[in-house]
This record gives sequence, structure tokens and C-alpha cells, in this order.
Amino acid sequence: MIGVGKVKQYTNVLDKPLSKGKQEVSLSAFAFLFSELVQYNQTQVDNIAELERRLEDAGYGVGVRVLELLCHRDKGNRRETRLLGILSFVHSTVWKVLFGKVADSLEKGTEHEDEYMISEKELLVNRFISIPKDMGTFNCGAFVAGIVRGVLDSAGFPATVSAHFVPMEGQQRPRTTILIKFAEEVLTREARLG
Amino acid sequence: MIVCVAVVGLQNNPLYLQSFTEADDALKLHYIVHCSLDVIDERVNNPKKTGSTMNETFLGLLYPTENYKVYGYITNTKVKFVLVTTDLDVKDADVRSFFRRFHSAYVDAVSNPFHVTGKKINSVFFAERVRDIVKSFGTNTTV
Repeated sequence: MIGVGKVKQYTNVLDKPLSKGKQEVSLSAFAFLFSELVQYNQTQVDNIAELERRLEDAGYGVGVRVLELLCHRDKGNRRETRLLGILSFVHSTVWKVLFGKVADSLEKGTEHEDEYMISEKELLVNRFISIPKDMGTFNCGAFVAGIVRGVLDSAGFPATVSAHFVPMEGQQRPRTTILIKFAEEVLTREARLG
Repeated sequence: MIVCVAVVGLQNNPLYLQSFTEADDALKLHYIVHCSLDVIDERVNNPKKTGSTMNETFLGLLYPTENYKVYGYITNTKVKFVLVTTDLDVKDADVRSFFRRFHSAYVDAVSNPFHVTGKKINSVFFAERVRDIVKSFGTNTTV
């Protein structure tokens, strides 16, 4: 859906392959649209938490529709019922369709049983955004967190998802981590399935 | 001859219900769809054999009543499609391809940004596509 590749130039127009239609959207178009979305929401709210919540809700709608679309396109006729299954689905397939590449890493949290983290060196949505100092820990990755929450929720794995900056030594820009915390019932169901 | 198609949501709430006969027993068809939800729940929660059929989307023939056959299909988001037909010699492949096209129309209807998930599908376009799919069901056996 979002691509940053260059268009190949063919010398002879008859040599061009028949296109399946544009599968890619220009990055700048998306960046403009996303910045407008953030600005619009900023005028409507008074505090940071509300802004994050609104971005997440916007992402939630995207997540629900993306899940329907991908499962239909998959043609494998498979429903994900296991936790690891749905997590790797989000980590590879959803990321591939949305951002053109799989996510950098998927980790299991060490402190709690129900926490998982997807990390990315630089989220595509944050590429052209710099957060002013007075906004503290606000992260526009809340939009992506909302997408992940939408996918997990409609697949039957209720969870709370949030986006965090994790500073890395030796690198200027901090890494972004999407933290997924599953609800109780998901873990009991997973334990029951063995 | 397909007499009724239905889309049922997460909490077994009806999202789209359309009958294709002129007869007055549309209510009876709604009742049949409602009863078939129980069968779907049973199939999904207690799979007959663990392994390959646990994750299938196509549920197959749910149950045959006096002169109707009811087929079911469940998507990854627990949205169920129910098909009621009076044909006695429907091929399995036909029904599968019907559900595939129906799923395609459903995905397009849900991708509408103005559609609220969990509410009824009000798209005229969706209704037309469903009518076309139903009309071409059974007349050609290829996808």
C-alpha cells in the first residue's frame, strides 16, 4: 500500500507489462495526509492523552478493514486461533502490506506473561514528524498501535496496544516499540488449547 | 435456487438479510437462518477432528430441513455468512465459489470508511453485487 520504490522506465511503451493497477501509494501523499490528520486532531483536544486516543481510534478502523481484506486475499482459508499465529501474521503479513517490509523484530516481554513487543527502527508514519519538547512522551506511532489493536481485536484477541520510544545507545533517533498486552481471556484460552 | 443469504456479525447480530423469493414466508427463512447459527457455533467451538478442519473458513452443509439446504461460512473476524437454497443437487465447488465471491463483496462493503463495524450494511452497491452473484449461481459451474 505504501511504497518508496522508483518507477522503472521502459524505452518502448509496448514493452511495458500490463499493470495490475497501482499497488503503491506515494509516500509524500501519505505523509501530507497523516500530518493533516494529526493537526486536525490537535485542534480538537486539550491534552496529549486525548490526542493519542484519537489517533489510536483512527488506526483501529484501519486495522479492522485490513484484517478482512488480507484474510480474503490470502486464499488459504485459514483462521488464526493461536496467539503466536496471529502475532506472526501481524508482524509479517500486515506490516508487509502496509509498510512494504516486515517488522524489525518480535519479542516476548520478560516481566509479564501477556506482553509482546514489535519493534521497528523507524516507523514509516514517524519519518517526517518531529515531536516538540513540550509534548513529552507523545508518539504518533499511536496510529500504528491502533491498527494493531484493530487487527487483534477483530480476530478475537482483545489487547491494549501502545507505542513507545526506546532510546538506543549509539544511535541518534530512538527505536520505536509497539507494546501489546493481551487480555486475561486470551491467555486462559491459549492455555486451554495447549 | 437460492432463497436467502444472510450476513451475521460477531455477537450473532444480523448485518444483512436478503431473501430472493416472492413468497410470503420471508419470516420462515429468517427463522431458519437464526437456527443455523447454533449449528455454526457448535461446529466452530467443538471441531470434529483437530488439526486441518479447525481453521477452515468454509463450514459446509450445516443441516438439511424439509426442502432447504443451509450452508455456512465463517470469516477470520467471526463474521458468518449463511446461504439457504432449495436445490437438491448443489455441487460443493459451486457453493465454495459462491462464498468466495460473496466474501469479496463483503470485504468491499466493509472497507467503506463510512461503514460502522457491527452495524447493518446499508450499501446499495453491495446489495446489487449480491443479487448478481445469486443470479449467476448454479447457471455456470466454473469460477
